[in-house]
Amino acid sequence: MAVPAIRITNLTKDFRLGLRGIRLRAVDNLSFEVADNHVFGLLGPNGSGKSTTMKVILGLLEPTLGQCEIFGLRSNSVEARRLVGYLPESPYFYRFLTGRELVDYYASICSVPRAERPKRVADVIDLVGLTAAADRRVGTYSKGMLQRIGLAQAIVHDPRLVILDEPTAGVDPIGSEAISELIIELKRRGKTVLLCSHLLAQVEGVCDDLAILNQGHLVASGSVTDLLRRQGQSNLVVENFPIAAREEIEAVLARHGAKLRHIDEARVALDRLFLEKIGPTAGKPKDPS
Amino acid sequence: MIASFRQVWQIARLTFLEAVRQRFFNFLILLALALIASAGYFRQLDFRDQSQELRFIADFGLGGIVFFGSILSVVATAQLFFSEIENRTALTMLAKPVRRWSFIAGKLLGVALLMLVFVGVLTTLLGFLLWHREQQLIAIYHDAFIKGNWLNEYPDAQRVRFVGLAVDALLQWLKFDVLAAITMLVASFSNTNLYTVVVSFFIFLICQLQYIAYDSWQKISFPALRGLVWLLSKFFPNFQLFAVGEFLVFPAKVAVPHSAILAAVGYGALYVVVFATLAVSSFRSREI
Repeated sequence: MAVPAIRITNLTKDFRLGLRGIRLRAVDNLSFEVADNHVFGLLGPNGSGKSTTMKVILGLLEPTLGQCEIFGLRSNSVEARRLVGYLPESPYFYRFLTGRELVDYYASICSVPRAERPKRVADVIDLVGLTAAADRRVGTYSKGMLQRIGLAQAIVHDPRLVILDEPTAGVDPIGSEAISELIIELKRRGKTVLLCSHLLAQVEGVCDDLAILNQGHLVASGSVTDLLRRQGQSNLVVENFPIAAREEIEAVLARHGAKLRHIDEARVALDRLFLEKIGPTAGKPKDPS
Repeated sequence: MIASFRQVWQIARLTFLEAVRQRFFNFLILLALALIASAGYFRQLDFRDQSQELRFIADFGLGGIVFFGSILSVVATAQLFFSEIENRTALTMLAKPVRRWSFIAGKLLGVALLMLVFVGVLTTLLGFLLWHREQQLIAIYHDAFIKGNWLNEYPDAQRVRFVGLAVDALLQWLKFDVLAAITMLVASFSNTNLYTVVVSFFIFLICQLQYIAYDSWQKISFPALRGLVWLLSKFFPNFQLFAVGEFLVFPAKVAVPHSAILAAVGYGALYVVVFATLAVSSFRSREI
């Protein structure tokens, strides 16, 4: 059986608050697995324990109880972190470096061999679509560009697992769509992606599996298809539907023991409409001149 | 292990670059340069004779280096540490295969490089000022100097020993590194920049006055109290051991033996290692 990318077993994390050390339980007996080469969504309202879980996976917090493994290695080991790339929420980077210098710096920190570095840096910058702005200072980048350079630094050492914390926070729909495409591209390249996002449409669009947390507890987990399926119900998509046909259809369905629940007008999602209207220039960087 | 040292160097390099871009550093170094340069304009003051001038310029300059260097080493260390925590660049960094000791060591090495540049620039300026005025004084007292009896004629006059000035710069740099390590230890467990700066300056004062604790220890007869004061006097480094600039630059009357200088270097290096190790140990359990 293949080793999962992430295995969390009975994870509990308590924080001590104030001088009296009042205990706050952020995560309570959490267990789930993320399969290799899957895109996994971690959902939950604010304060549900998502960030704490993510920090335990990254080895930045020690669990109070339970354990967390990355490809079979303890998550707080340096060896495990070699396999992980991380994009924090609202990333902030050294403003005085150019995009290329920044990615090169993180590549050197991750021990990417010096000879390979220029090509690797250029490749990931190209992948995130920032080649034209690579030699500009990070301080001049827009929020969407910061997210993309953040993604570049997260994958420059070719990790097997990429953790993205709110990668589309504050990003316009065009940038958001570009990041969704990047996530799909990462999966195509064999990576596992853990995505933490409040943008539920995006999670639905790119994730294979998801887990929902609330108040530190796991309240649902499984494949997106299974979780969103309404048992025993199907949709029919019909072009030029004549209202007069409704009674006939209901009669046919009744003969087969089925029932027509309701008829809706098909709608396009708002973000899809926005992207269609913006057209082919969407997401293209402005000419620096 | 080699990878860890390479990471330390990369973190140090970036810390240094970040520090020299800060307005605070540039302002402080300009202020210190102006102060030291102004020492040459105090000739109007009533010196007993002109031979005292060089001593005054040296005292003024060395004092300026100690004063501004102490401020810079505390504020820069706290600022560079908390900028990583508050901007969450530490989160990005520590999520990579970077050990926490590498992070702390890199930050400290970056501050040490900053202090090296600071001490180097100011000492070079002070050295130039001393040399320039010394040449002028030699020209003024030319006859006595040529005859070789100028020390008889002007018993307080002394020539500047520039090697001594360089040795003093090394000792001051080491003292600033000890102070930076102390600040890093405080920062490793504190939550705010301000708290770190205030506590570190308080410890700096204790270290400056540590000899008082040592004197008290010798007079205390009660064993438990004597033990406690002894322990405290060992925990806080004695910064007076580094205050030998005057004797190094003008060694004619009291020469500082080489063994004492080497002992001070070893003493400083030991305290840097001890406080850096304590900082790493404290930072290891810190939740980022």
